[in-house]
Amino acid sequence: MAVGDLLLTGLMAVLLVGIIAALTRIENWRSYTPLAGGGTATGEDGAVLNREKPAGIIRWLTTVDHKDIGLLYGLYAIIAFAVGGIMATLIRVQLVVPGGAILGANAYNSILTSHGITMLFLFGTPIIAAFANYFIPLLIGADDMAFPRINAIAFWLLPPAALLIWAGFFLAPVTENMIEPAQTAWTMYTPLSAEQTNPGVDLMLLGLHLSGVAATMGAINFIATIFTERGDDVNWANLDIFSWTILTQSALILFAFPLLGSALVMLLMDRNLATTFFAVEGGGPLLWQHLFWFFGHPEVYILVLPPMGLVSLILPKFAGRKLFGFKFVVYSTLAIGVLSFGVWAHHMFSTGMDPRLRASFMAVSLAIAIPSAVKTFNWITTMWNGRLRLTSPMLFCIGFVSNFIIGGVTGVFLAAIPVDLVLHDTYYVVGHFHYIVMGAIAFAVFAGIYYWFPVFTGRMYQRTLGKAHFWLSMIGTNITFFAMLALGYLGMPRRYATYEFDGAIAPLAQVSTYHLLATTGAFILLVGQLIFIWNLLQSWLEGPKIEDGDPWNLERDGMLDKEWEWYDRKLETAITDGGEDETESALTDGGVPEGDASRSDDN
Amino acid sequence: MELFGFEKETLLDLTVNVIPLGIILFFIAAFAVVSPFGLDPVFSGLQFSLMISMFLLLAVLTYYAGRAVEDAERAEEEHATLDDPDGATELADDDESTEDDAELGSDDEGLPEA
Ligand code: HEM
Ligand SMILES: [Cu+2]
Repeated sequence: MAVGDLLLTGLMAVLLVGIIAALTRIENWRSYTPLAGGGTATGEDGAVLNREKPAGIIRWLTTVDHKDIGLLYGLYAIIAFAVGGIMATLIRVQLVVPGGAILGANAYNSILTSHGITMLFLFGTPIIAAFANYFIPLLIGADDMAFPRINAIAFWLLPPAALLIWAGFFLAPVTENMIEPAQTAWTMYTPLSAEQTNPGVDLMLLGLHLSGVAATMGAINFIATIFTERGDDVNWANLDIFSWTILTQSALILFAFPLLGSALVMLLMDRNLATTFFAVEGGGPLLWQHLFWFFGHPEVYILVLPPMGLVSLILPKFAGRKLFGFKFVVYSTLAIGVLSFGVWAHHMFSTGMDPRLRASFMAVSLAIAIPSAVKTFNWITTMWNGRLRLTSPMLFCIGFVSNFIIGGVTGVFLAAIPVDLVLHDTYYVVGHFHYIVMGAIAFAVFAGIYYWFPVFTGRMYQRTLGKAHFWLSMIGTNITFFAMLALGYLGMPRRYATYEFDGAIAPLAQVSTYHLLATTGAFILLVGQLIFIWNLLQSWLEGPKIEDGDPWNLERDGMLDKEWEWYDRKLETAITDGGEDETESALTDGGVPEGDASRSDDN
Repeated sequence: MELFGFEKETLLDLTVNVIPLGIILFFIAAFAVVSPFGLDPVFSGLQFSLMISMFLLLAVLTYYAGRAVEDAERAEEEHATLDDPDGATELADDDESTEDDAELGSDDEGLPEA
């Protein structure tokens, strides 16, 4: 019977590939997409956007300008980062003492679940979309995204998604806990997630689904933009590295998120319509894990590839050398993209799946480590003998490389079946992926924000605060997550609200010490992020204005990319116009230069 | 040296993906030779099809990416060195790649700048 199923699945796959192949033969796609044809690469704004933007809030609610939408994504993601960060702080406070300091088990589970989902889906994906929206069209010399309105829709699906995901927190007090926040953990494993009767879980699933739709729409838009809207002088040989990573990421989203959506719908049906997709008598709980991780592993690369692109773009600028082995980075990005679909069951090594199958997932997981390592060597070699300028963006890039090495190496350990059987579901796993999501992804995001701060605010941030932010983040990250690796070695299981197991699972004295360390690190991190937010806001409002289009002195090394050229043109037109345009909000206006404009090498 | 119609430079760049391909190939061979858990039509089938499909997908994507980049580079060179006989002959005597060009061209029909 199983052989027959396999055959059918194979036939299905052949059919789908055939359909895709047939679709690629259709020649006139562009005739259906009138917006894609707008304008040439020479003008700054496409025909659609030449009209004056309305003033005030209406502008932000109706905008289809990729830069505005980029800023909206950014604002959204920073808010989500703050929410997720507060949740993380609560988790760490809870765990300073073995009995739990502030929360009951249910509250702890709610906050743990929401922390994960918020950071991955409401901070991670959107902040990447923020950079991509703002800078991809500038970097490739396009007027705007291929489908500006779809771009806006994709963003506006996100606020309702967040409200649904957090719904339980708002509704619990008013419904007397009839509707609670979901307590499923971000992986939503069945049978737990199927059997919890709390309607908050349904709301969360719907919100997640919505965010997936948004991500898919965005991905389609980026693919279309990078393929069809490039300027005349941009081709596959000189496409910048960030666009390559966004292109690959979008392809991953296109194949991964619809699958998450389907799995979520199946789970919703199991919960509400008494289907048995994931019930023992039906597909079984392992079906959920397969579906979830077939999405979930690509998702982690969806999150890490564009930050890798950011670092590959920014790090060379402050090393005074071109990125070493540019093509290596491009091809290895593509390799990661493909292979990330063949490793999902490394999250399921301990489920009792067939050992032969398990071994093949280990093989592919070990193979995928190579392209990641190649990139690391490229970054290091780029800095080798370079003229390093330790600006805030550069510090964050170097921190990225350092943390990514620890995160990656621990990942390779986990990919080895015997090691994983010992460390699975311990804090070691938590340490591993936080080295990557916090230590690497967030660091690259910070690097991007500081690097392009002048472009989107017209001002310079405060360099001392930037450096304080870096050092507190670097030290905090390494204390917190290194302690977690140690906790994992001690055997501390993940997702526990309390740990009064004195010796039964792990030695309590050491475990408490490391939890205390992790919490200390978390507070250092918190202080760093408060400084970051302060710097962001204050510098945006009062920072020294930028007067020329090359605040980083990149021209000297011949590394002034297109987005800075665009910015320079914009500054110049603003000056010859004879002053600020009051209807343009200060947010995107480069403004008129003032005496104290900062142009310095080491902000 | 020409392999699959790629220039030496491109081949060198593509080695980066040859390494993971090699690792997968190694495991395919290793699991074929040593199978401590015995063979089973379904699970061994899945085991090998996972590795083989990853190998093939990566090989195909690497090939097409290399093609796209190399073709773009040639087009650039062609613009830059129209009167350079060396560049011209290099392009001219490469029949294998013109075939590939045609192939890629049909894929790229809707994309004017590609
Ligand atoms: C160098 C390549 C990597 C390898 C070989 C690797 C391997 C692994 C393995 C085997 C696990 C499962 C551990 C267990 O649950 O027992 C794991 C968990 C995880 N990894 Fe990685 N990893 C790599 C890179 C990454 C990257 C780049 C990210 C993030 C962007 C990431 C994020 C995660 C997450 C979120 C989990 C935990 C999921 C969960 O159970 O909640 N990993 N990794
Ligand atoms: Cu994974």
